[in-house]
Amino acid sequence: MVALSVGMFWASASYARRPGIKPTSPFAALPVFFNPRPVGVRELATSAVHAIAFGGRPAVAARIALARLGGAALPYVLPALDTLDPRSRERVALALTPVAVRMEVASFEELADGAQAVLFWTRFWQDRAIDFRAASVRHLASRLAERSIALRREDLIHVDTYALPALIEALGQVNTPDDVRRVERLNSVLAHITELPVACPPNASVSDARRAVDTWLDFWQLHGSDYSALDGPRRLAATFVETQYGKWLAAVLRGGLGRTRSGEHAWDLVTQGLATTSFLLFVGLGGGFALGVAWTRFERRSHQFAARVASAIAGTALAAIPCATFVRLFAGSGAELFSASCLVTLTTAAWVSRHLARSTMSQTVSPIAAAFSVSAPLGATYPPFVLSAIVLVELMFRLPGLGRTAALSLASGDVNAWMAASLALALASLLLRQAADLLRPRAAQSPRQSPLESP
Amino acid sequence: MNDPLSAKRRLALAAAASTVLIVVAMALAPLSPELRAYARGLAFAVLAGLSIMAVAFLVALPLGALAASGPRIFDAALRFVCDLVGSLPTVFVAAVFWAGTSKTWSFVCALGLLRGLEQAWLLRCEIVRIEAEDPESVPHGLGRTPLVPFLRRRLSASLGPLLVSASFSVAWLTALDAAVSQAGLRPPSALATWGSLLGGPQPSPFPALLAAGSVAWLTVALHALFRPPRIT
Repeated sequence: MVALSVGMFWASASYARRPGIKPTSPFAALPVFFNPRPVGVRELATSAVHAIAFGGRPAVAARIALARLGGAALPYVLPALDTLDPRSRERVALALTPVAVRMEVASFEELADGAQAVLFWTRFWQDRAIDFRAASVRHLASRLAERSIALRREDLIHVDTYALPALIEALGQVNTPDDVRRVERLNSVLAHITELPVACPPNASVSDARRAVDTWLDFWQLHGSDYSALDGPRRLAATFVETQYGKWLAAVLRGGLGRTRSGEHAWDLVTQGLATTSFLLFVGLGGGFALGVAWTRFERRSHQFAARVASAIAGTALAAIPCATFVRLFAGSGAELFSASCLVTLTTAAWVSRHLARSTMSQTVSPIAAAFSVSAPLGATYPPFVLSAIVLVELMFRLPGLGRTAALSLASGDVNAWMAASLALALASLLLRQAADLLRPRAAQSPRQSPLESP
Repeated sequence: MNDPLSAKRRLALAAAASTVLIVVAMALAPLSPELRAYARGLAFAVLAGLSIMAVAFLVALPLGALAASGPRIFDAALRFVCDLVGSLPTVFVAAVFWAGTSKTWSFVCALGLLRGLEQAWLLRCEIVRIEAEDPESVPHGLGRTPLVPFLRRRLSASLGPLLVSASFSVAWLTALDAAVSQAGLRPPSALATWGSLLGGPQPSPFPALLAAGSVAWLTVALHALFRPPRIT
């Protein structure tokens, strides 16, 4: 399954990188499977400080980045102020003004002058450096989660984004009204710190609170590394976690196989589409294989050369004409599911009959024995082709199946939906192969000489 | 029972079928842009089909033979790769190939490689089956078959499924191409082929019908040409 998921993810990432198309995934900037240089808050803060110190156009973006990083960057920015020349120091201190205002420790007027700003931040770090410790912030967050006290809220706001990991962790599961109250308290601090308008109003319902938690978890999945220091084992883990595949896996581990672009769980898409696709697969393949065997049997038993030639040509033509042609002919006929299953059955039957009729083994054994005998090799080659036919009929007849979901999500770049649908299809294909392997030994039980052969 | 179609006749049939198609395409091409697209599609189908067959044989013969009669690691590796590649509907694999390759011929070679893996598995299964059924084959185990008898007897007798599969190469390519077009996964800048004629949003009926018929015609000819060796 791991190898399959890697293969599927590679396919999705490769398709999303096609020339002339702007990637739509929020994680498109990350490497696909391995990140040799993961970036955390330390690297981002250091690079922003350097850009601001040098000035010029890059400094504008760096100031915005530093204001966004906020309190999480302070343990790296403030000790580095002393290493800068006086002018650069003032520029960096002034860039931190929005952070101070958000932390409610100063106003814009107080920090309007560069020298004043440098003095403020130097004193701030002397007084408050001890507050920027993970253990104390985690304690504050857990206390706020337990009970609402205004002072705890202020303490958390004073450390700003440094508290984000602890606050996200404290959100937890939402099942009861008590959980809802907890989410309300934490949401208020989170919305203030991140300046994101995530609503969880007073007297919110359980589903409202869950929605708010999901939003914060999505935010953390997307931006979490920007606010976390990557040191030691965490840096090592980040080489895998901070990749597109790692992000998808994290979404899967959150439950429901991740969420699609439309906001629903990918697992729900699988359960909705499974019935249609399974029906097409089992009716189409089961009927198609049996029909293919019967076809070959008829062809062999026919004593007239012309009939055998006609049957062979008809079978070959039916197998050869692209399924797309037939699909287009029958699209809009009304009985979509019936037409779809007939098309898949006929495609499979023609494909199987041609292989049985012309396979070397069918010259010595009966078609039924040959069918069992070739089930292993054919089982490895035709399911992907038949699944392609299923994708087509689902698309053209607008059937709510996994193939249609997979095709639409691949085209739109919805990674979670694509992975869920394609993994379900892959599992179906693998099960078919295993079934084919189980059938194979029966061939040895009933071999007999066939007097006739195909033309 | 004697084979009513000799090798020479089958070759002549395949050559005649291709010639008729090419002559018809050349005659029709100047009449309208759709028919010109059909003629271009014919050139692509024939050349790409031949390339896919060539690449697939190059991949399938050594891989299949090694998996059947070489060290077990090859067998396990081929099984794993086939499971992996074959677990996804081929239309998606083709769409990814189209998107990932900048040139048409890279796409064709990638499809040939994919086809080669499938055919290698067919060849491997057939060799193993023949080894198991032949009482004179001693020893039967993988990795112990002597090379010369293997090449003389086993390989030539095992080519049946491979040849049957090869005869569907043009049909397989066109079906995939049409499916990718119909699913909306084809790059807009991709070469105009029969696939785009058959699977495009609003295909012209006559060229599409001509293309579908031509695929069937070519496949029947290839199917007649690639007759597997008979067991005596």
